[in-house]
Amino acid sequence: MKLNLSFTIDFRPFNLAIDQELSLEGITGIFGHSGSGKSTLLRAIAGLESVHNGKISLDDCCLIKSRDNKIETFIKAEQRHLGLVFQDSRLFPHLNVLNNLKFSTKRCQHSRLNFNEIIKLTELEPLLYKHIDELSGGQKQRVALARAILAEPKLLLLDEPLSALDRKAKTSLLQLMLKIQKELQLPMLYVSHSLDELQQVCDNLLALSQGKVLAYGGIHQIIHQLNQTENDHFIHQQTSLSLPIKALSNDHGLAELSLNKHEQIYLPALKEHSVQTKCQPDKQSLRCFILARDISISLTEPVNSSIVNHLLAKISKISRQGNKVLVTALCKSIEKEQEFFINISAFSQQKLALTIGQSVYLQFKASAVRTYLY
Amino acid sequence: MTNPDLLALITTLKMAALTTIILLLIGTPLAWFLAKMKSRFKVVIEAIVALPLVLPPTVLGFYLLIAFSPQYLPGQLWQQATGQQLAFSFSAIVIGSVLYSMPFVVQPLQKAFEQLGEPLLEAGAMLGAGPLDRFFNIVLPITKASFITAASLGFAHTVGEFGVILMIGGNIPGETRVLSIALFDHVEAFDYAKAHVLAVSLLAGSMILLASVYLLNGSKTKTAKRVSNETQP
Repeated sequence: MKLNLSFTIDFRPFNLAIDQELSLEGITGIFGHSGSGKSTLLRAIAGLESVHNGKISLDDCCLIKSRDNKIETFIKAEQRHLGLVFQDSRLFPHLNVLNNLKFSTKRCQHSRLNFNEIIKLTELEPLLYKHIDELSGGQKQRVALARAILAEPKLLLLDEPLSALDRKAKTSLLQLMLKIQKELQLPMLYVSHSLDELQQVCDNLLALSQGKVLAYGGIHQIIHQLNQTENDHFIHQQTSLSLPIKALSNDHGLAELSLNKHEQIYLPALKEHSVQTKCQPDKQSLRCFILARDISISLTEPVNSSIVNHLLAKISKISRQGNKVLVTALCKSIEKEQEFFINISAFSQQKLALTIGQSVYLQFKASAVRTYLY
Repeated sequence: MTNPDLLALITTLKMAALTTIILLLIGTPLAWFLAKMKSRFKVVIEAIVALPLVLPPTVLGFYLLIAFSPQYLPGQLWQQATGQQLAFSFSAIVIGSVLYSMPFVVQPLQKAFEQLGEPLLEAGAMLGAGPLDRFFNIVLPITKASFITAASLGFAHTVGEFGVILMIGGNIPGETRVLSIALFDHVEAFDYAKAHVLAVSLLAGSMILLASVYLLNGSKTKTAKRVSNETQP
């Protein structure tokens, strides 16, 4: 499925001007800081916001076309067959959970999905007869997600659905999103200002800044590209990884991911059920990330250290960002070379006399390897 | 209660019921339009709707009397369409009541629609609900209490009307003689016993209606809190 975006919207203090074709397979993330225009973009796709000049089309279907503020084609939101899960769940307060879900099925023209199967998939059975007031934030979002799916949309839009939730609820909902995507093969566009959340579930990423497209591509590639964005203190510089699982829990209570034939990355043990969501039958892999500030550099192999992860790497880039330095280093991995990003102080860089092409050891604790998916 | 008073009661109830139905039919789209309107002319329309709250009823009645007379266009059009004179008819007091009680229906509905806002309607649209579907299945159930309040206030205010009806309806038994005018007649004739019966009945009826409205408003506040919890991030 292709989503073609070529439009401008007057969006103070700047215009939202997008010219990008998105390939909607799996989950596509839209990242940007507050006010970057990401929610406005999603609302324009949904039909809740008008575009002033340009066109949005989904495959061969033109959703909106306008020229000089005059609308030539406009398909109403209710006729676009797109689902939207809002930041605030927007459940109908006069209906209980079951009737909120039925609101969706009654208006669905296809009825390809089995109502009971979706209830089971979203684990809503115990909540069906509860009133909306009785639900927690996480439960409300789960109902909103189920309600949107039951409308059987062609594309599901998610507008920061996790922003008001605690970590436990976030983890549960992210796992649910992956489960739904895998079982229903439903393309999703997921807007968030949290790169960490997007890293966990997205296949592709569109990064916006001040109403313009900053980058678009594979999730790891774009996250690594964003690390190099200067003067953006809100981006968590990180190494984004998707590695095969060698062991969920070894004899020492650690999980092992294979970086290459000889080197592993250790992280806290994983529960079996949780990883299944992102596992492929032939090649179980785990999506995880390591913040650049959690990795340090040693010139000699730190064999006498309590830190379990130490990898041999070659420095490929050194960028000075104020008093900090971002070092990019390459490690051998199974498929191709894996980039790692390391934040050190300018003082450390000077002390170690780091240069491009130099071989160094990267070290980081098992707990520095983060994932929401367990 | 004497027969003429009973007749006045029936005329009053008939007029108030018809006025309330017409007001709900006209007032709902008007309140919706005002709630969604962003133009600076909104205040002008709001002021026109609210005018009967501050205008002496006799002023409104006087201008309506002129407009309803066969010498002026509204009166002429009515006469051509129905073959009857508009002034001093039951239809005249219903039209006068609709205008006079308009703010009592439009204002609570407008406030309810504004409080409801767009979020739940957008959620409905994203689930495939069209505008009428959204109105009947989202707006109406959530703002039900405001509709009951608006209808009750419109009805009660119409029952209590005097000045406008006296100006445009006169005092024709079975046609335009309503309870407030019958009461005035009794007082003018120094028949205080009959006046008391009507006054106490009107007082008790109004009290019961208002108490019911306030009772409903209690549950409406709870619903409003639920709506605002649902729509505020």
